[in-house]
Amino acid sequence: MLVRDCMTRHPILISPNWSASEAERLMSENRIRHLPVVEDGKRLVGLITRQRLSMKPEMLGSLNVWEISRYLADLKVKQIMIKRKSLVTVEEDRSVERAASLMSENRIGCLPVVDDDDAVVGVVTEVDISRAFQEMLGLPVDGLRITVRMPNRPGEFAKLTRVIADRGWGVMGIGTFPSRRNPGFFDAVLKIPNVTEEEVRAELSKIEEQKVIDVRSIV
Amino acid sequence: MSVVSSTANLRTNRPSRLQSWWSGVSIVFESRIATVGLAMVAFWFIVGIVSLFWTPYPPNANEFTQNLSPNSINILGTDHLGRDILSRLMTGTQVILLKTRLPGDAGIDIPGGVALWGVFFSLLVGAVLGLNAGYRGGWWDQSIMQVLDAMIAFPSIVLYLVIIAALGQGDLVVIVAIAVTGAPGVARLVRSLTLDIKTRDYIRAAETRGESVNFILFKEILPNARGPILVDAMLRVGYAIFAIGTLGFLGIGLPPPDPDWGNMVNEARRTIFVNQWAVVWPAVAIATLVIGLNLFADGLREELTRFQK
Amino acid sequence: MSTIAERKSPTEGIRRPDEMPVLRVDDLSVAYKVRDGEVEAVQDVSFEIYRGESFGVVGESGCGKSTVAWSIVNFLGANGYVKRGRILFQGQGLVGKDPEELRRLRGDQIAMVYQDPMQALNPSMRLGDQMAEVLTVHRGISRSEADKRCVQMLERVYMPDPKDVMGRYPHQISGGQQQRVVIAMALLNNPALLIMDEPTTALDVTVEAAVLDLIDELRHEFDTAILFISHNLGVVARVCNRVGVMYAGEMVERAPVTEIFANPSHPYTQGLIRCVPKLGADKSSSVLYPIRGRVPAPDKRPSGCGFSPRCDYIEERCRAEKPKLRPLGDALLADLHSVRCHFAEEIDPGAWTPPEDMEIPLLNGEKRAAETAAAETILQLDGLSKFYPVSGSSLKDMLGVGEKRQVKAVNGVSFDVPKGSTLGIVGESGCGKSTLIRTIIGLEESSGGQAQFLGVDITDDLADRSSEIIEELQMVFQNPDSTMNPSYTVGQQIGRPLRRFNKVNSRAEEQAEVIRLLNAVRLDGSYYDRLPRQLSGGEKQRVGIARALASRPELVLCDEPVSALDVSVQAAVLNLLMEVQAEYGTTMLFIAHDLSVVRFFSDSVAVMYLGQVMEIGPAEAIYAPPYHPYTEALLSAVPIPDPSAKQAHIRLEGNVPSPLNPPGGCPFHTRCPRRNLLPDNGAICAQEVPPWQQAAEGHRIFCHIPLETLAEFEPVIQQ
Repeated sequence: MLVRDCMTRHPILISPNWSASEAERLMSENRIRHLPVVEDGKRLVGLITRQRLSMKPEMLGSLNVWEISRYLADLKVKQIMIKRKSLVTVEEDRSVERAASLMSENRIGCLPVVDDDDAVVGVVTEVDISRAFQEMLGLPVDGLRITVRMPNRPGEFAKLTRVIADRGWGVMGIGTFPSRRNPGFFDAVLKIPNVTEEEVRAELSKIEEQKVIDVRSIV
Repeated sequence: MSVVSSTANLRTNRPSRLQSWWSGVSIVFESRIATVGLAMVAFWFIVGIVSLFWTPYPPNANEFTQNLSPNSINILGTDHLGRDILSRLMTGTQVILLKTRLPGDAGIDIPGGVALWGVFFSLLVGAVLGLNAGYRGGWWDQSIMQVLDAMIAFPSIVLYLVIIAALGQGDLVVIVAIAVTGAPGVARLVRSLTLDIKTRDYIRAAETRGESVNFILFKEILPNARGPILVDAMLRVGYAIFAIGTLGFLGIGLPPPDPDWGNMVNEARRTIFVNQWAVVWPAVAIATLVIGLNLFADGLREELTRFQK
Repeated sequence: MSTIAERKSPTEGIRRPDEMPVLRVDDLSVAYKVRDGEVEAVQDVSFEIYRGESFGVVGESGCGKSTVAWSIVNFLGANGYVKRGRILFQGQGLVGKDPEELRRLRGDQIAMVYQDPMQALNPSMRLGDQMAEVLTVHRGISRSEADKRCVQMLERVYMPDPKDVMGRYPHQISGGQQQRVVIAMALLNNPALLIMDEPTTALDVTVEAAVLDLIDELRHEFDTAILFISHNLGVVARVCNRVGVMYAGEMVERAPVTEIFANPSHPYTQGLIRCVPKLGADKSSSVLYPIRGRVPAPDKRPSGCGFSPRCDYIEERCRAEKPKLRPLGDALLADLHSVRCHFAEEIDPGAWTPPEDMEIPLLNGEKRAAETAAAETILQLDGLSKFYPVSGSSLKDMLGVGEKRQVKAVNGVSFDVPKGSTLGIVGESGCGKSTLIRTIIGLEESSGGQAQFLGVDITDDLADRSSEIIEELQMVFQNPDSTMNPSYTVGQQIGRPLRRFNKVNSRAEEQAEVIRLLNAVRLDGSYYDRLPRQLSGGEKQRVGIARALASRPELVLCDEPVSALDVSVQAAVLNLLMEVQAEYGTTMLFIAHDLSVVRFFSDSVAVMYLGQVMEIGPAEAIYAPPYHPYTEALLSAVPIPDPSAKQAHIRLEGNVPSPLNPPGGCPFHTRCPRRNLLPDNGAICAQEVPPWQQAAEGHRIFCHIPLETLAEFEPVIQQ
């Protein structure tokens, strides 16, 4: 899965000359937390987040009541946005995991997706990544969720798929990750529809050195 | 009402001729521009008609002091020969709009001014040529348009001079001159309209009925071209008046004794430093009549095109 | 992929619960200021479009479809304005927005595709320059980079040879390709919203089918929200997820596309579906039921329900009270299916029967076929051809020594038409069908072959024909706006042929005859003194028919007489033609550009391609195998107003070759999708002229593929 497959295309965009209050209204009306700021040709110049719209206490302290309302009325998007040079962005043909790592490394919740000449084609947010993760593990489909623990060496996964192929089962979601507390092993999570738990346990337990550690129908 | 036939009964909503004529004419008043133009033109027509029966003084009698400024007796003043300018202006309208003097000593006049007859003939000749060129195409088109293009290439003033030099002076000659110089333009317009109209299906329908070419030209195509032709005719009357003025100024226009606006300007030109008014009045007359016609044509065109949509 | 079960594509899946629509129109009313007051062209229209979704707006002309589109991009002109309601694009209100801001939105995020591609293309600029301009001027991309992207985009829209196309001028490519370029241009900026106003109406069926496929595919690929405006229910069924039906400026029904065809709830929607040809398995499915009356002008709409004057279910309440757009059925489906009718639940479209005063032609095709088999042949063509000479531009040509080239518009057409029957002639534009009938009627002189009408040779042009032959051959034209001379009244125009052919002796007789003809085309005598501009399109077409019938011709040639009319009127005019034909016993040649219209109308059908007849036979035989591969492709391209119908997916590649230089052998071999059925990938098709194969009595197919193989083709349409 690439960024282009999980991003939200055609995000709502605003221009740097808008007032901050308009940006705020747009975000709350549409229940979104990030607004890419673009100039002509959808070229990215910044990003507005919810936090950016909240006032810093020291700023408030330095203004009196009259000044605050004037300050707010004149406040423009371009004054409060995160500028392009300090923005982290991603291209649409990167992998989802790369995008996710960019977000977690920089501790940010949103990556604008840009093309070769910096035009915004979409955004990837934490929500998109988590949705991709759900789809990867087959959440939208009914079926059994099976976790199998296997040694970390080549050929192990093939054993598992051979059994599945022999039985003619369909796999709706799949994910593997190193077993947290068992070095040298990894866990594979599979979503298989239209099977019973007994059937699955009986078939999969035949595989040498692998162990079914969890089967559940509710996800 | 027992005589009414059954077919006539069915046709209840037939508008009277007057009604349909009025509904056609009344679109003029939809446009403010056309209304103003029409008023200006109508003013001169009325002036001309009045002058047929009454002028303040005889237009050719030099009974006043020369070169008077406007005053209570001579409202617009007098010219270098002591003639009343107002009377001369009023009479000047006649030759342009109201009457054409036939040659010969009998002094027979026919109704319709030189400008109107000139434009009428240019329309007649231009429309026939344009219709034939546009509808028949091929060699007809080629030869007609080549000749007309050659005529358009001549400056019109030169054409006037050539014609008058060849035929001498006189009202009819001026009419011929206007017709000859106007016809190529009309022909071009009619040809382009014809080219458009002849692609319509109703022309195909006429052809598949085996109608003659003349029927198609004059019965099927011409009525649908009349709007733009009418507008063009208005403008051409304006040009014609201008042309008559120009010829009069050059001294080769409408023959004396009747006053002619162009000639009046020409004569008054010599005394312009003594009496400016004698130049101004006829110039104003020409200008208002031409502007009136132009406004009328513009407004009419606007309304006609809007009407089509 | 046995281990991966079938999975819905993400865009087709459940809509994200938090998602906002790309476009949201709320209670929109648009008014135009006119001389005396103002006219509300659109009233209380609401809908929304989400990402990757396409919303179809259907309705007849004058229902305000395009006005809705224009109001979104603020192209309402000087006298139009949004009177009430709001338009939200990406959460931002567009009504009353600063024009500069709107211009920017249009450039960057909203794109529009019109019916006529030439409206969007500059005829004096190379296509490459125009396309690149979008990127270089607006976004400051370098020219070489812009060119690269344009080529990519042209490839995306399946433009053959995109590099070459970039260097051409708009007039050098075909209409379908122009529309592809326009779509590619619209997509260059990756718009969030694409507004398409009848984008395929001007295209041929086969091209239309390909463009619709393309639109559907691009919607998924670019996640673009599409507002798709069309008068054609079949087209909408093919590309839209949801549909709004508009009538007289109001949205009368809104539902998902399958729902609207399976369960149409508004009488207008039901009527619309009944008056388009279905092209189903049997002939009775193609009977058309017109909707009575016509769409009222915006300033003459009734005060109650807008549709009430034309509705079959009208009650007192409909006249008194304007219905609201309300959800139909249970609350769960509330936002899915809404209808603007008081009695939607009580109306059962299945129980509908045509009202007694409606004219439904009898399906007497079989009976007539038997009759006509015995009838004499009225028109006989044998190898009729019409070639137009073309002058080249080389020096040789100027000197007149160059090779003489000819456009072979009609190339060896042969068929017989029995008296009293109807022959439908079908083909794409440029196939020579119009030239064929123009040659028959004598508007063009033929260049070869034989043509006999009533035993008289008619290969010459009109000027050489006798008046007797001329009066027996009349024509009904395509364009209602130009079929009548605007300067004469209806009575004068119908009376003219009567006088011309000496059918009447006196004025009174003429009047009586004209009124009789008017009645024959279901117009009353009050039309006698009307001028063409006081008539609607359908009425003009009726007068055109009356005029053609005035001389009591033996043969009437109809050149797409209904293609320019609204669907509800189309059906009425078609039915009228059939009636009149039965009444007068006239023989008819009927041209159409797609196969659905001529179906129930014709006794036999001829399919033309590049000036030649590919297949000809009884109407029934044409619509089932065995058929010519070209007929098959045409059938597969016809848009069917039924999303559940299964239609084979056969698309022709490339363009119709130039008739200046038609391909040798079989003219269709360059595009034939079935050529591979013959040995050597159909080498024979390119070399030898195919034989005429007799499939059945009177059914001939012009193809190399053996009849047995042709008969094995799957039927194109399966219900």
